[in-house]
Amino acid sequence: MSGAHGMVAQLARFAGALRACGFRVGLSEEIDAAAALALVDLLDRSEVHRTLRIALRLPRDAWETFDRLFEEYWDGRRAPHHPALDQAMKRDRGPAQWRWDGQRVRLEMPEERERPEGDTPGYSPEAALRRKPFEEFTEGDLAAMERLVAQLAQRLATRRSRRLVPTAARGIVDLRRSFRRALASDGDFLRLARRGRPLDVASLVILYDSSGSMDVYTRVLLAFAFALRRVVKRVEIFAFNTTLVRVTRMIAPGKVLRSLESLSAGVPDWSGGTRIGTCLAEFLASHKDVRVDRNTTVVCVSDGLDQGDTDLLERSMRELRSRAGKIIWLNPLLGDTRYRPECAGMRAALPYVDHFAPAHNLESLQGLLRLVG
Amino acid sequence: MNEQIRSMQAAMERWGYVAEPEIATAVYLAREMRKPLLVEGEAGVGKTEIAKVLARMLSTELVRLQCYEGLDTNTALYEWNYQRQLLRLKIAERENSDPDKLEDLIFGREYLLERPLLRAITRREGPAVLLIDEIDRADEGFEAFLLELLSDFQITIPELGTIRAEHVPVVVLTSNRSREIGDALRRRCLYLYVEHPDFEKELRILRGKVPAVSEQLATAVTRFVQKLRGQQLRKLPGVAETLDWAQALVRLHRDALDAETARATLGCLLKDEQDIKATGEQKLAELLAYASSRD
Repeated sequence: MSGAHGMVAQLARFAGALRACGFRVGLSEEIDAAAALALVDLLDRSEVHRTLRIALRLPRDAWETFDRLFEEYWDGRRAPHHPALDQAMKRDRGPAQWRWDGQRVRLEMPEERERPEGDTPGYSPEAALRRKPFEEFTEGDLAAMERLVAQLAQRLATRRSRRLVPTAARGIVDLRRSFRRALASDGDFLRLARRGRPLDVASLVILYDSSGSMDVYTRVLLAFAFALRRVVKRVEIFAFNTTLVRVTRMIAPGKVLRSLESLSAGVPDWSGGTRIGTCLAEFLASHKDVRVDRNTTVVCVSDGLDQGDTDLLERSMRELRSRAGKIIWLNPLLGDTRYRPECAGMRAALPYVDHFAPAHNLESLQGLLRLVG
Repeated sequence: MNEQIRSMQAAMERWGYVAEPEIATAVYLAREMRKPLLVEGEAGVGKTEIAKVLARMLSTELVRLQCYEGLDTNTALYEWNYQRQLLRLKIAERENSDPDKLEDLIFGREYLLERPLLRAITRREGPAVLLIDEIDRADEGFEAFLLELLSDFQITIPELGTIRAEHVPVVVLTSNRSREIGDALRRRCLYLYVEHPDFEKELRILRGKVPAVSEQLATAVTRFVQKLRGQQLRKLPGVAETLDWAQALVRLHRDALDAETARATLGCLLKDEQDIKATGEQKLAELLAYASSRD
């Protein structure tokens, strides 16, 4: 590294690459990292490594990406080149195209397709949008949908608990605590204590199948998941195919398209095959900080086309059942009236599912909100 | 490695904390950069212990704030000593004194009960170590309140005015990640993630904390726990559990692990009914075989 200036430039490039991979590394992190590097031995590789991890505040799930980028940027290998970075540059020039046609597995829905747009029963463009199959979504539709979903999801965050807890100003008077307080002021009620119902924060865990057979739906359903995240505080989103990746923090809200691109760069085997059982087991075993209790609704989005161990899938579903309040399985294939859940994976999971619902258009997702809230 | 980090590591070890370079670096940076240190990791990996050791090392006071849902300023920051104020008022009634002066008097520092946060910034003798434990349990509102304190180290009390820190305390926050810490708070801290220790480290901790344990037993216990953490369990045992278990075995005067004792004392390690059930006879035998083998 050549002097302090060279190091700072290097740090800025490195932080940019981390950002391009979807991690939130801001200016304050960069400043802290620069200050921290000034304090340590720059010739010691592992010390620089540790210092950057501490000062850039990288969570545990970012370590893998961090290690990879660290090798690229700090080990003197002149290959500071990252595909996600190039994409990030390109994106700024104009709206990106999103096409999932081609060799992908696609679902044919002739009934929906044949009907001309004007005939869709409904009273507003919004109503038409609600029934439009996701395969036909355009850029504009997606933005409209995000707005719609945000409205719908508001309900989730406003459910009140039955419990009464002490509150600061609102609520009914809590006589017992008021008297207790009055004791301190010689029997004068200086301030009344009150009780009210706290907001019961529903939490949501979304396990998302990102395998090839789900490609068509990926974007819209993830947009939905992130719109939910904006209104419900406790939403955790995981993508799975052959491995499980926690994507909650990898995605900036409101930039789903961008995020999806960085995701496919950062997640191993994105759009590959599926091993649902293995991924569920991993979720249960290694993501203990994700609260799954009776206030939690687990939403599994998958077509159930499993290539893994069906036994393991069943065992994991059973355990999930014992912990979660509700399990909802969304299957885009259900939108097709001819579909029957007959593949082995789906059959193994079904006994543990509370609601088995379609997810092929917005109307069906709206149904989901009713189930969750 | 930086000399100062090395000596930090050595000092922590002297005070009974086996610190990896990662932990020593984080503590050193937090001290030098005067930033709070946010420590995350699974239960029982020694997050709280970092703050305790730091306080012993700096031979200063450890001010601890245990967070819980519904934690409010009365318990975290300060409270007026109502009883004393009232008593003073009664006395004043007889004296017939000036009401303005009286008001100034009863809203003075002597009538203020210091809670941990206020205590941490008003300590005269030198910087205290402020441990804000399990911040993830407190409400998000409390987190927002902490922001002001942690960036300016000052507290505003309406009746008294603003109190500035005499010495900026060394702040350690811990979180079990039962909920994600807000970005604003995270941004003000340095971040350390502590993992379960590897075999060598755990063995050293065990031998340091439970000196009565024989070398053979310590090795077996550590190997057993290390292997156990590789299993699919709902709650993995932390270092604290390992120490408990070793203590229990020492009390039972055991020099080696056998199936019967292990079964009877498994509750020291596994705190979940399903985990205990999942560790059946066969699995236990496997673990014990691994623990007593030498490779």
